[in-house]
Amino acid sequence: MVFSSIKFLLYFLPIFLVLYGITPKSCRNLTLLIGSIIFYTLGDPHSLLLLLLSMGVNYFIGLYLVGRREGHRKVRKKRKALLTAAIIGNVGMLALFKFAPGGLELPLGISFYTFQVLSYLLDVYRGEIRREMSFLKFAVYISMFPQLISGPIVYYSEVSAQLESREFTAEGIQEGLKVFIMGLVSKVLLADRVGILWTQVQTTGFESISTPLAWLAAVAYSLKLYFDFYGYSLMGIGLGRMLGFELPENFKEPYMALGVRDFYRRWHMTLGRWFRKYVYIPLGGNRGTEGRTILNLLVVWVLTSLWHGKTLNFLVWGLGLWLLIVFERQLGRLKWMPKLRVLPRLYLWAVIPVTWMCFEITDLSQLEVYLGRMFGFVQGINVYARDWYSVLSDYGGLLLICFVACTPLVRKLYGILKDRLIGMVALGTLFWVCVWRIIVEGENIFTYFHF
Amino acid sequence: MWLKKWSFLGIFLVCGAVVMTATHSWADAARPAREAGEWLARVVSGESGGPRDEEDLLAEKGENPGEVPSGNGEGDAPGGSDLTDESSGESNLSDGPSGEEDDSGEQSEEVDFQGPEQEGDSQESEAPPEVTYRNPEDVVYATVEDDYFSDAVFIGDSRTVGLYEYGGLLDVATFYASKGLTIFNLLTAEIVETGDERGKITVEEALSERQFAKIYLMVGINEMGTGDLERFLTKYQEVVTRLQELQPDAILYLQAIIKVTTDRSNKGDYINNEGIVARNEGIANMADNVKSYYLDVNPLICDEDGGMIKDYTSDGVHLKAKYIPIWKDFLKEHAVVLDE
Repeated sequence: MVFSSIKFLLYFLPIFLVLYGITPKSCRNLTLLIGSIIFYTLGDPHSLLLLLLSMGVNYFIGLYLVGRREGHRKVRKKRKALLTAAIIGNVGMLALFKFAPGGLELPLGISFYTFQVLSYLLDVYRGEIRREMSFLKFAVYISMFPQLISGPIVYYSEVSAQLESREFTAEGIQEGLKVFIMGLVSKVLLADRVGILWTQVQTTGFESISTPLAWLAAVAYSLKLYFDFYGYSLMGIGLGRMLGFELPENFKEPYMALGVRDFYRRWHMTLGRWFRKYVYIPLGGNRGTEGRTILNLLVVWVLTSLWHGKTLNFLVWGLGLWLLIVFERQLGRLKWMPKLRVLPRLYLWAVIPVTWMCFEITDLSQLEVYLGRMFGFVQGINVYARDWYSVLSDYGGLLLICFVACTPLVRKLYGILKDRLIGMVALGTLFWVCVWRIIVEGENIFTYFHF
Repeated sequence: MWLKKWSFLGIFLVCGAVVMTATHSWADAARPAREAGEWLARVVSGESGGPRDEEDLLAEKGENPGEVPSGNGEGDAPGGSDLTDESSGESNLSDGPSGEEDDSGEQSEEVDFQGPEQEGDSQESEAPPEVTYRNPEDVVYATVEDDYFSDAVFIGDSRTVGLYEYGGLLDVATFYASKGLTIFNLLTAEIVETGDERGKITVEEALSERQFAKIYLMVGINEMGTGDLERFLTKYQEVVTRLQELQPDAILYLQAIIKVTTDRSNKGDYINNEGIVARNEGIANMADNVKSYYLDVNPLICDEDGGMIKDYTSDGVHLKAKYIPIWKDFLKEHAVVLDE
């Protein structure tokens, strides 16, 4: 079930909130768990068993993984072996679905909940958190529907207190709803609409688009992906807040970044921090030589590519980013580099859309055609030279709004207006306008749904 | 106090009532509830399968429309309506399954209706029209140059928009095309740029102001969401009649709805090739082969399975720009040139 659907917005959510509200506080975790399981089943019934299995097995492993410094050598060795087995098991299962030659359909949310489970196990092993003794609380941590399908990837420590005790208040519900609405607007009114430009270009066929249109569409896709994912993350955070959870942010105005390195500290932050904490830093991070750092970065980016998909284009994407990051690092090490503001942003906007094309176009020959049209090394076939005129007139206004929405301005406005009458009326109206658009246009699947 | 505490929720709900009423969305918003109720009712009464299947109705070609589920609002008597030929036998696909999402999974399977996959018969109509001045076989088409279209107008939906952008006739012919155009709004939608202070006018108005020698028409894919074949064909005939009233000297080319890929057809929603073929048969029957002709480009762009060739499209519905010239060349080779 997708957040931006009538079934969720007008049926599941209100019914769930009512049932959750009338549940006595001590039983609310159970209600949340049952609700989340129903939510999952409505989205992907075939994979429910796998989710339950993962929760059950990993819960038990967590019980035995306690603190590596405790106990004598034999016990410590056993725990280490258990951890290794758990990592291999979880990653192996994820890899099985992602890379199976037959092309198995990926169980809903598996990339996200697997990483979340791994973070839990590793944190228990490291002694950073206490193992969760209650299966109910553990299961809620893994499966709660605000973050089950597409993240954010939550650290156990971020919600452990709330799993134990949290408030379900009028303020929480309404504040959460406001955030949720911002996310819904981002998805339905921005992403889904600007995404049509991208769909149009696919329909025409990459070989038949002009170079200006190729760039325009790449920018449109960049915006669509952002507002899609950002919107979904906000919806998750909003839902979490309604229930009394503070879920972590996933985006921090990435398109305001000053380079690719900065970009990926602002984009899908919960994935980035996961790789940093559990792969990059254990490998040594940037504390060794530059050469070693570059190697560590390579490992992280290869794994990031694999996390996103098995087709080669993801490797092209990841390696391309790695090269750019390495390049930026070298520039950063030059003492005489001035602190620039405009040039890095222009560079960002030139480079990031190209990388997103590598990310999105899974067929390498099609990717070659697209990049070829962008940079002029592939001949166009039956190109309508003024195709971008009409596109610009149709989408110009929307693109402008999207660019503005990439800046911190919207967040600031939200903060100022959300408690005022005008802000509340705006938010309320926008929600129902989104509902109307969903009814009229059908329900667009969110891009990261298939990860 | 209580009001203040829940002020946002209150505002939220009021906005909802206003927006939903203004956009007439209550019925659609209630659909999941209705469907859940229907599902429950079926489960309770022990039935299996989906509700009224469209393919059963399609299969009943020519047979007694007594099969037609009752209670449909269209009120077409069995065998009645203006279309006295076979197409009316296609029974009444009322607001039933085809329009809605879930159950249409049944639609595309088991279709055993005999409608010929049009490959062999190609461009001429499959079913001989009941009222004819000429048999389609007697029509002799000429091959022409691009300038043949200089006094032609192309009216249609997004497929025609594609022809506009990539058919190479931009500066030659006139196009009254718009994404989402249907037979129901064809005459009344304001899609024609005037370039003056009136802004956009309707196709009907535009055709009252300017005479064309040829009219090319292709609509039909967008309406499939309503699923009602009978209603579509009835309206189509009305539009054809009106076009001939507005442009008495023009040759009217009724183009078959371009099919979709087999994969897209099997997706289980309202777009499927069986429905398209049914509509095309009805359209073919409307051509008299003297003033109006039926042209079907499908054989040139479809494969052995009767669906659009996969490589020719990215979304299964629209031809890629690269292949649109095939359509244009087809039209150039099937021109009717009136002797002076």
